[in-house]
Amino acid sequence: MARLLLIEDDAETAREVHGDLCGRGHVIGWASTGPEGAACARDEAWDAIILDRMLPGLDGLSVLQDLRRAGNRTPALVLSTLGDVDERIRGLRAGGDDYLAKPFVLAELAARIEALLRRPVDTRETILRVGSLEIDLIGGTGRRGARDLDLLPRELKLLEYLMRRPGQVVTRTLLFEEVWNYRFTPKSNLIDVHLGRLRRKLEAEGEPSLIHNVRGIGFTLAPDD
Amino acid sequence: MTDLLRSTTFRWALGIAIWSVLLVLATYSFVYWQTAAYLREELAETLRLEVRAAAADPAATAMRVETWIATDLHATHFGGLFGPEGERRSGNLGAVPDGLARDGDAHRVSANVDIAGRALRDEIWAAALALPDGSTVVIAHDTDEIDRVQATTLRALGLGLMPTLALSGLGGLLLAGRARRRLAATEAAVAQVMRGDLRKRLPVGGGNDEFDRLAGNVNRMLDEIERLLGEVSSVGDAVAHDLRTPLTRLRARLERTREQANSVAEFREAVDQGLAWIDQTLAMVTAVLRIGEIEHGRRFAGFALVDLAEVVREAAEFFEPVAEDKAVSLDVAVEGGIPPVEGDRDLLFETVSNLVDNAVKFTPPGGRVRVGLAREEKGVVILVEDTGPGIPPAERDQVFQRFYRTERARQTPGNGLGLGLVAAIAKLHGFTVDLRASPYGGACFAVLCPQGEAKGREWARGFAGRPLPTPDVAPDPRGGTRP
Repeated sequence: MARLLLIEDDAETAREVHGDLCGRGHVIGWASTGPEGAACARDEAWDAIILDRMLPGLDGLSVLQDLRRAGNRTPALVLSTLGDVDERIRGLRAGGDDYLAKPFVLAELAARIEALLRRPVDTRETILRVGSLEIDLIGGTGRRGARDLDLLPRELKLLEYLMRRPGQVVTRTLLFEEVWNYRFTPKSNLIDVHLGRLRRKLEAEGEPSLIHNVRGIGFTLAPDD
Repeated sequence: MTDLLRSTTFRWALGIAIWSVLLVLATYSFVYWQTAAYLREELAETLRLEVRAAAADPAATAMRVETWIATDLHATHFGGLFGPEGERRSGNLGAVPDGLARDGDAHRVSANVDIAGRALRDEIWAAALALPDGSTVVIAHDTDEIDRVQATTLRALGLGLMPTLALSGLGGLLLAGRARRRLAATEAAVAQVMRGDLRKRLPVGGGNDEFDRLAGNVNRMLDEIERLLGEVSSVGDAVAHDLRTPLTRLRARLERTREQANSVAEFREAVDQGLAWIDQTLAMVTAVLRIGEIEHGRRFAGFALVDLAEVVREAAEFFEPVAEDKAVSLDVAVEGGIPPVEGDRDLLFETVSNLVDNAVKFTPPGGRVRVGLAREEKGVVILVEDTGPGIPPAERDQVFQRFYRTERARQTPGNGLGLGLVAAIAKLHGFTVDLRASPYGGACFAVLCPQGEAKGREWARGFAGRPLPTPDVAPDPRGGTRP
C-alpha cells in the first residue's frame, strides 16, 4: 500500500485512475489544478506523484520543476495527451521519472507506479535467485535446480529484469523499454514470442511455471516454491 | 479598352513601339547629318578651287567667271568680278555680298543675283578673293540643291517614321493582345481552381516558352495538391472505415452478450474480446497521430549521434524468434566502421523494425530475410530484403501512403500504417526510402542516410532555438535511470 498524489484536471480520468489504484490497495489524494497540486505535494509526504502535463493554473511540468528545485525527490509519473516524441523528453528533463501518453491502459499506469515504488532487489547483486531459478550475471549463466540453462544475452537481461522484481507485474511496454532500451510500443505479440521462448527454456517437461501471463496486462515472475 | 491600357503587357508593347521609333529617329538623324555635311563640303571645295583658279590669272578672271556661270544649266552658278569701288565688271551677282570675307573659303550669305535678267535676293554659298589690283572675284552656288537634299531626307524621315510608328504600335498591340488572351485563359483556369475545381489545369501552348513553362509548373503543383488532397481524403475514409470495422464487431458482440450471456465467465470473455478490439482501434489512432506528429512537428529533441550498426543488429535480433517460429531465416550483414548518424535512436529502431516486420510477415516459410547496413556512394544505406512475393512495380509508390495495402497484404493482419511511418521518420531525418530490385527476388527496401549534409546543423538549430526546461537532475532520456 502506498500513498499516491494524483494531479489531474479531468474528473472522469481522475475517477477511473482513483478507482483502479484504490482497487490495488493504494491511498490516493487528488488535486485538480496546478497550484493545488503543488501545495499538496509540498505539504504532505507521498510515495509517488502522478501528474497531468496540462493543468489549469500552473503547467504540470512547472509544478514538477518547482518541486525538484525545492529538493522534493518523490518519484513522479507524467501523463500527457501531447505528442510523445518530444514531450517524453521534456517531461524527463523537468524531473519526471516516467512518462505515459494518453490514452493509456489503467494496468499500464498501475504497473509503472509499481515500478516507481519498488526499488529493484539489490542492484549490486550479480547472482540472482528466485525459487529454484538462479542466474549469474557475470558468468552469463543460468540454472534451474540442477539443470543448466542455455541463455542468450538478451534472455539473460530479460530474466534479470524480472528476477529483480519478483511477483511484480510488468507490462510489455515496460519490458521492451527496460530490456531492449528503445522507446515505442511494438506489436504485443513480439514480446510474447520472446517470453514464450524464454519460458520454454525455463520450464522443461513437468516443471512448474515461473513466468506467468497476466491477462491483458503483461507478465510476472513468481517463485515456484 | 481601359483594361487593355492598364495591362502590363500593353504598356510594355507601347514602350517597345516608342523605343523603336526613337531608334529610327536616331538613325535618320545620323544619315541626314552625314549627307548634308558631305554635300556642303563637296560644294565648298568646288567653290574654293574655282575662286582660286579665277584669281590666279587676273587677266583671265572675267572669262573664268563667265565660264563658271555658263557651265550651269539650271541657274545655280553665280559669280562676279568687282572693281576696287565695288562696281560690277562681269558676272551675274549684283554686288559683293555683304559680310563676305575675301579669304577664298566658302560661306553661306545672302546676295542679289540676276537670273534671266531679273534681280533676285537668294541664299548662296560664295567664296571670294581679292585680286592684286584691288578688285574682288566672287564664285558662288545656289543653296537650293543642298536644301532640297536636306528637305528630301527630312521628308523621307517623316514618311518612314509614320509606318514605323504604326507598324511597331500594331505589333505591340498584337503581342499585348496575344499575351492578354493567354493570361485571360490562365486567369479563368485559376479562378476555376480557386472555386474548388481542382481538376482544372492551365492551358499550355506547344511553344515551351516562359508562359508554357510557368503554366506547366503550376499544373504540376496542382497535380501535387490534388494528389495530397486525395491522400488526405482517402486517409480520412480509410480511418473511418478501419475504425468502423472493429467498432461494428464490438457493438454486435456487446449486444449479443447482453441478450445471451448467462455466466460471469461469458461476460468476462466478451469484455476481454471487446478490450482487444478497442486496443486495436486505439493503436491505429495512435499510429495516425504519430505519423502526423513526426511529419509536421519537426521533432528533433530526441536527436543525437546514433550507431546504426547497433540499431540494425538489435532490430534484427528482436525479430529473430518470430522469424524462427515462421521458419524464415533472418540474416544480418553489417559492414564494419560505419560512422554514426544524427538521428532519433528510437525512431530509427522503429523504422528498421517496421521494415523487418513486413519482410518477415510477407515471406513464406522456408524463405530468407536479410537485414544489411552498407556504405554506398551517396552515404550509408539500411537494406531489408526478402524472398517474399515482392511488390509489383505499379504499386511501389503507393506502398508508402497511409493505409495503402497491396492485394496480398489485405489477407494479413496490419493497418497499412507501417510504411507510412517509415516514410515519415525517414523524411524527418532527411533520409530517403526506396524500393529496389532485390537479388533475393522479393522486396528490397533501402533507407539511404546521406553523409556529410546539412541535416545535422538543421536539427541542432531546431534544438537550440527551443527553450527547454533546465533539469535539476540529469535523467538519461532513454529512461535508464528509473529506480
